[in-house]
Amino acid sequence: MPPCDDHLVPTHSHRGVFTITLNNPPTKNALSLEMFDALERAVETARKCAQRGETIVVVLRSHGNAFCAGFDLNQCVCDPSLLASFVDRLGKLATSLRTLPAVVVARVHGPALAGGCALVAACDIVCASESATFGYPVHRIGISPAVSLPTLMATSGLGGARALTMSGEIVNARRARELGLVHFIATDEQSLHQLESDITESLIKKGPTALRATKQWLNEVDGTAPDGALGRRAFDATNATIALTREPEATSLLNEFWKSRNDRKGST
Amino acid sequence: MSELVRLSIDQSCATITLNRPDARNALDHLLIREFALAIKQVAKRIESAPNEARAVIIAGEGKSFCAGMDLRAVLHDPVQMGVMLGELATTLLALRQLPVPTIARVQGAAIGGGCGLVVVCDFAVTHPESKLGYPEVDLGVCPAIVAPWLVKKIGAGPARAMLLAGATMNGSEGFTRGLVTHCVDVAALDSTVTDLVARLLKGGRNALACTKQMLNELDGSNDARVAREAAELSAKVIAGPEAQAHLARYFESLQSSDSTKGK
Repeated sequence: MPPCDDHLVPTHSHRGVFTITLNNPPTKNALSLEMFDALERAVETARKCAQRGETIVVVLRSHGNAFCAGFDLNQCVCDPSLLASFVDRLGKLATSLRTLPAVVVARVHGPALAGGCALVAACDIVCASESATFGYPVHRIGISPAVSLPTLMATSGLGGARALTMSGEIVNARRARELGLVHFIATDEQSLHQLESDITESLIKKGPTALRATKQWLNEVDGTAPDGALGRRAFDATNATIALTREPEATSLLNEFWKSRNDRKGST
Repeated sequence: MSELVRLSIDQSCATITLNRPDARNALDHLLIREFALAIKQVAKRIESAPNEARAVIIAGEGKSFCAGMDLRAVLHDPVQMGVMLGELATTLLALRQLPVPTIARVQGAAIGGGCGLVVVCDFAVTHPESKLGYPEVDLGVCPAIVAPWLVKKIGAGPARAMLLAGATMNGSEGFTRGLVTHCVDVAALDSTVTDLVARLLKGGRNALACTKQMLNELDGSNDARVAREAAELSAKVIAGPEAQAHLARYFESLQSSDSTKGK
């Protein structure tokens, strides 16, 4: 029996902290149809809890060896039309995390790539273990990471966002901290757990009204608010990326990539 | 100029010194007004005698640079609070718009609004043991006025993490995270500032003014609307029950510890 949504993205709420866990380790928590469904539901539940004043902090974390490896390419190869809807849903998720009336803390170990990196770039505070990696290696499958740019450009600065998304380079946690994408680093997974709970514990002791006002004001100041210089381009960024997915280049590069990946896997 | 803020101009350099050492130079309404006046005087002097004030140093008398806002007198008077915060926001903008390089000389502590002064300046020199940061949210207060300046200083992502996580850090960490441009042994604070000024004086006055103006335009520093909205938001959050309760507890703890430091 396939796992139900609750297994894919379990959530729990405790003392003002709403925890969302990506939980499909065999696929490195890839964003599949089912994963998007479950994650969107989780974020919406978190929003309702925050609006009711029950939630002050939202923690986004993962089980397994990866944070999130991006889109589930297996599903995209089987049904190329999915790519466009995945891009659309990822853009909306990024906006949704950025506008949640709660402080969103990402706890990242292992790879956070492509769509996974886009989720991280939309969070407010990012703590990572030394093992974490970040990047947008998506040009090789013929698509653009533009959908992440509105939040990434604010988070890591214009120069950093340009370098990261144009190169497709995968960077480690220290480099990601230099770029402004990561804010706190722990040496290993166990100390990452401690670091995240220290941050979370300290946040729930602060004034929730002040935190919400500060987050909303930061969105205004850095332009990521829905009507801000970056926020109002989110829609365009999504549409530009969706248009790309319909190009033959994307389909053929994706198929090539998938074939060579499976060949590599078969030979080992 | 009364004794809360001192202004001196010598050797091509103006120094504005916060002079309320018994309250760790906490910014109350009167001090903010005098500080604003000092900046106006410097701006005038630069205009009338361009070779006299070619750099501006912001310093604090005593053990600490500036402990932050002193809200005690206006805590229960939202109107007065709004006026005071509005004047602070306008003053920071005026400091930013001085057409010469500005340097904060930071000893001891620069907290909250005091750390706001630090990041508005073009340069800031501190020592490894100093205490820097923005613990506003810990007190139920929204650091709205400093947020735009911090974003311009260290980038929006790191500023977001710093302001939402609150708390303070030492000078070394402040240097690593980009709050200050120089971190030197405490005994070398003055010589570092002097060296920096000497270096800046070598540059063309017009070239520096033009560069600073361009930087201010490009990073959105000149947006007076942002300063105004920030002050309004800050006053609104402080007037709310959450901040009032936090601050009342905080002031009580200050009294019981018999401290004179402000916030």
